[in-house]
Amino acid sequence: MKILSLFSRSHVFHDQLEQSRVRLYRVAYSWSHDAALADDLVQETLSKALKNHGQLRDQEMLNSWLFSILTNCWRDHFRQHREMADIDEIEDYRCVHETTPEDEHAQTQIVGRVRGAVANLAMGQRQVLTLVDLEEFSYAEVASILEIPVGTVMSRLCRARRALKEMLQELAPVQSAHISQIRRVK
Amino acid sequence: MKPDDSVVSDEFLNAFVDDQLDAAEKSQAFDGIGHDEALKERVCELRGLKEMVRHSYEHPPVRNKSAGKGLRLRAPYLPALAACLLLCIGGASGWFAHAWTGRGGEPEMMRLLQSVQRNDASGEPQKILVHVGSSNPVRLKTALDETESLLDSYRRSGRKLQVEIVANGGGVDLLRADVSPYAMRIGLMQEKYPDLDFMACGQTIKKLQEKGVDVQLLPHIGVASSALEQITLRLKENWVYIKV
Repeated sequence: MKILSLFSRSHVFHDQLEQSRVRLYRVAYSWSHDAALADDLVQETLSKALKNHGQLRDQEMLNSWLFSILTNCWRDHFRQHREMADIDEIEDYRCVHETTPEDEHAQTQIVGRVRGAVANLAMGQRQVLTLVDLEEFSYAEVASILEIPVGTVMSRLCRARRALKEMLQELAPVQSAHISQIRRVK
Repeated sequence: MKPDDSVVSDEFLNAFVDDQLDAAEKSQAFDGIGHDEALKERVCELRGLKEMVRHSYEHPPVRNKSAGKGLRLRAPYLPALAACLLLCIGGASGWFAHAWTGRGGEPEMMRLLQSVQRNDASGEPQKILVHVGSSNPVRLKTALDETESLLDSYRRSGRKLQVEIVANGGGVDLLRADVSPYAMRIGLMQEKYPDLDFMACGQTIKKLQEKGVDVQLLPHIGVASSALEQITLRLKENWVYIKV
């Protein structure tokens, strides 16, 4: 019976991981803006999670634990590219091809513009912004996932949003009316 | 961080938009926003940005591939399952093998043979140190049996094998003229195999003598200052060490 319950437990864990896949992928994509790379990162994250299942003491922490692993995988990915100096300050143009999903034709659309702007943020800012906005992690959780102080989370988020605002205005000065329309909606 | 500051910081507004303020700070924020149009505008702007980011990644593009995603995670289970199966088979065969070879010192023989086979490829004469630390007659017999069968098999295949049997503690009984149950056999083995040496532990003999025991060793038995020293020396000389 013990063996059976062990199997069913690991089955539940497996399902939980599978359910997290979409959310991990979304964040991985927002960091890399490369579908293939994001997919690889998620796959690696899930494999590591499966392998190190025993390290997860508290099931409640599963979510932030998974994103910590994703962060490590992402960091490891850059370690393999020696020319990348500092992951936090790295600019996107170095690691992502210019004509990724945010192709010129998409620039006229709000989604493409925002993705392009996020892609241009410094990596540290991008990570904080996406974890807070897409996954709605608390500042404390983001701090623990990225292993940085909460104060740094706040300042990076602040700078990220400021930069994003400027970029979106810069990117589409003609379309500012369109953006303000959205503001009105909200 | 406080909303009643002359300039409300962006950090504070961000925390408000992200619902990271405590109740008191939140009500202060609501107060400020209600009275200050500019503040309201900034909050709206931040909320708008947040929503835009969320909206932009709601449906990220998916990698083109034919394989179903769900299947890929199951793959790690297969090796695990195979490993479990192998473990069960290994365990079961080990259990039966144990029952089959469970007569006294057979495992020692297996160990002896394994180590000898492992080092056989070099072509140099094999050197094996057999350590006997117990007066258990089964062990004493095993040590002699296996040593003899090894020496014999090496001689028949024309290879050189040097064996040294080191005895300490109760194992010294094997080499004591008045106690050893195998005095004659040891004598015959020494004659037959010149590459076989017997060493008794000097420390053990000393202890026995202190107790008033008169220790008489069999002929041609060497005495090491201590068994431990002898073993260490031989290990340094790359001898294969086997404890029986």
